[in-house]
Amino acid sequence: MVGMKKRYWRCFVCNDIHSGIAPPELCPTCKVLNAYVEISAAEARQILGLCDDTTLTPGEFRSAIERFAAANEFQVNPDRERVDLLLKGIFENEGRYGLKFCPCRVRTKNWDEDLRIVCPCHFTIHETYKGIKDGECWCGLFVRRT
Amino acid sequence: MADLLMFHGRECPHCHRMMPLVEKLENETGVRFEKREVWHDEANQDLMRSHQDVFKAKCGGQLRVPAFLNPGTKDALCGEVEYEKLKDWALKQS
Repeated sequence: MVGMKKRYWRCFVCNDIHSGIAPPELCPTCKVLNAYVEISAAEARQILGLCDDTTLTPGEFRSAIERFAAANEFQVNPDRERVDLLLKGIFENEGRYGLKFCPCRVRTKNWDEDLRIVCPCHFTIHETYKGIKDGECWCGLFVRRT
Repeated sequence: MADLLMFHGRECPHCHRMMPLVEKLENETGVRFEKREVWHDEANQDLMRSHQDVFKAKCGGQLRVPAFLNPGTKDALCGEVEYEKLKDWALKQS
């Protein structure tokens, strides 16, 4: 996948937007087959701009990552104090820089590199998690479920 | 004694845990770290980025905090580490 340029696709039925190297066969929202047509990045921005642009609250984000983790082999760290501190940083970073950057790493200002530190990041391939019994993501927001 | 840098984040739990160890080391050995908070200070981010080749080599290819640097020798230490490891690294720089 590295080096493959992602493009934008729009469901002609429900206007779902997909970003990827190819469109999904089945629209996950309206369940129509072969519904995606390629569009430009500018069109994607316009369509997404028509949506409600309010951001998640920290509580909503916490619920979202708990649902995300529930389907995986990891969980949100049970240390609530630690999670609260991390969420504070994540939301301050989003307010300042527009994305939920990890509070335990720093932007390089290279867009592709910086996307890799948006929470949740792809931590399952990192040396702090992969193959480690009590592994965790770099910041410790996610820990392997024991 | 070399001038050492510590890059840290205000909302980084690893940095919170390392800070007392750094202060203990300073008190015990006289080593001094110039502490640079990165997420609330663009200049400190820029400074860390200016050493990104050194840090990426030591920190899994990324700019992770906490991170310690000897700007003179370009030697770096990354992450939450045991006190003795930090001490060994810091004394090696002098």
